[in-house]
Amino acid sequence: MSTETEGEGGSVGATGLTDSDAVLMIASAVALFSLPWVLVDGFGIVAEMLDFSIGGYVGLPSLILIYGIVVIGYNLLLGYTGLLSFGHAAFFGTGAYVAGVVSQSVGSPIVMVLAGIAVATLIAWPIGWVSIRRTGVYFAVITLTFGQMLYFWALGPGSWLTNGDNGFSEVGTGPILGTFELDSAVFPNIGFLQSYTYEYVFIAILALLALWIANRILKSPYGLIFEALGQNQQRVSFVGLNVQRYKLMAFIISAVFAGAGGALFIMHENYVHPNTAYYWIQSGDFVIMTILGGAGSLVGPVFGAFIFEYVANVLSGLSLPVIGAIGSLWRIVLGAVFVVIVWTFPKGVYPGVRDFLVRRGARDALDRLSDRVRNRGGESE
Amino acid sequence: MSAVQQLFSILLNGLQLGAIFALLGIGLTIILGTMNFLNLAHGALYLIGAYAGMLIMRVITLRTGLLMDLGIQNLGLGWGFVIALFLVPLVGFVVGVLMERLVAKPFYKRPHTDQLLVTFGLALIVEELVKQVIGGNTFQSQAPDTLLGLQVSGPISLPIVGGFPRWRLVIILIAFIVIALTWLFMEKTDWGLIVKAGTLDSEMVSLLGIRIDRSYALVFGLGAALAAFAGLIGTTFETVRPQIGTQRALVPAFLVLVVGGAGSVRGAIVGGIVLGTVLAGFQQSYAQWADIAMYALVALVLIFRPQGIFGSVEVEE
Repeated sequence: MSTETEGEGGSVGATGLTDSDAVLMIASAVALFSLPWVLVDGFGIVAEMLDFSIGGYVGLPSLILIYGIVVIGYNLLLGYTGLLSFGHAAFFGTGAYVAGVVSQSVGSPIVMVLAGIAVATLIAWPIGWVSIRRTGVYFAVITLTFGQMLYFWALGPGSWLTNGDNGFSEVGTGPILGTFELDSAVFPNIGFLQSYTYEYVFIAILALLALWIANRILKSPYGLIFEALGQNQQRVSFVGLNVQRYKLMAFIISAVFAGAGGALFIMHENYVHPNTAYYWIQSGDFVIMTILGGAGSLVGPVFGAFIFEYVANVLSGLSLPVIGAIGSLWRIVLGAVFVVIVWTFPKGVYPGVRDFLVRRGARDALDRLSDRVRNRGGESE
Repeated sequence: MSAVQQLFSILLNGLQLGAIFALLGIGLTIILGTMNFLNLAHGALYLIGAYAGMLIMRVITLRTGLLMDLGIQNLGLGWGFVIALFLVPLVGFVVGVLMERLVAKPFYKRPHTDQLLVTFGLALIVEELVKQVIGGNTFQSQAPDTLLGLQVSGPISLPIVGGFPRWRLVIILIAFIVIALTWLFMEKTDWGLIVKAGTLDSEMVSLLGIRIDRSYALVFGLGAALAAFAGLIGTTFETVRPQIGTQRALVPAFLVLVVGGAGSVRGAIVGGIVLGTVLAGFQQSYAQWADIAMYALVALVLIFRPQGIFGSVEVEE
């Protein structure tokens, strides 16, 4: 796209766009770089002061970003295109198992992720092609159906590959590019950066890449069509666009992210079981993360993943003075928060708050404008 | 085992599984049809029915959970199956009416997606509450020995099929009596007529001057009572644990709904029996593939006949 063919307004808009993109990417990079320090060391210091174990552990930032990658993609489908899938564990789980199997012959993490993405995409194509022909609850049920078929396959007939109910544990992840061991610290000599492993760096780079890709898609005409589909499918088809094709692409793109997340998941955990890979409640967790953080915003779901995993892994170990150990109570708390959010913010937390702010911002701007007009009127008189 | 013998045995097992599926599916389908409300917490009603049934029927020994921490070791009334048969649907009905007033009502005008999300959250909360209070461990299933003086345990020798667990026959009998009663209620009473008309066109019914909102609570209560009843039956032949709501009840109920057709009681009954028979058939010879086959059948129905076997309306966004 050259500036010559566009008018002046177009090129101004384009520069404005790239500026905000750069800001977004830099802000995200800073956030991702500081996440382990804040979570492990920062929270740890506060925890010591308060005598309250709220600090994260070394693997947690990686886990948050893994789910973050999945829900960035999932949100393209739910938040923008408006399709509620209860079967995205199918692609997450496939990514995990494929990466695990591949790692037995080729240990390179990059190859593992690529293989996971490739197979997840391959199965997303037919599943998506069939599913997008249905809308609403039928779409939810048919995606759930495919996910559950894979779940029971992994538990039973597929156990020669997945090791069934015992779980898949023979993961042979090698070093990145043949040199960087995943578990070793990047800065072994710097005390406060101990929680930065090569694994985290690898996942953080991929998360940044995921954000960048999702942002590019959403800012492109293609992404605008996704958003339009979420608002009014009929009008999109009246414009003459092939609705099914765009829905299918949204579905496949979201599966790519889920496949990458799955591959990273098995790398991180060195183990995967059909329950964490394919079961429909796992798909439900993706839904919860996306809604918690705010469907229909680019980075919102990543916050959702953060809240979910932090509550699940850290707060669950907390012991409160009156109630006692929180333990598995965390799911009740999370469920309640989830219900309240769906109840009060029909459009999700982030868009709700943003609308409020935008409305205020617009009002301020209008006030200022009318002030200026009034003043100018005074001058002329 | 001869082929005929095998076929009849599959049919009997299919009827038994299918009866439970149908009970779940009828509840879900009338709630969807009448109020246009999708209830992912339907499995939670089954869960409530199962635990209520267990606690009314017998006395259980607690191993974990809040109540055990409070010093309660044995919990339950031990009143037996017959009393539970009347009390559990009542419990389900009350819970259903409360759910309609407190949770479903504010969401009638919201999109289906929102209804799915809020009831999904509710289902998780109920499951966790049960886990926290009564404990996350598994309780063994227990069928009564005698019912109204008749022996109902042990095998019975049937013509053609041969030995068959007597209790399973009783389950089929009781379940189909309840299904028949529901059917009569829907077909022969004015209430049923209103509900049925409401599933076709609720707006038209209210235009005729009938206060359809009043029957909403009743329909929700009825659906919940059927799910709770299914839960009670479930405790007599399947183990009981907090996950059964989402694992054993919710997903089958939705499968029955889409196979039978949304809003159709007849579809739910037929859909339940079809799915139950497919599951039973595969369990007999290819057990590993049983669940996969059931889901594959549902996928095929969704692809080729999205309105379901008897469905007249397709639910849209």
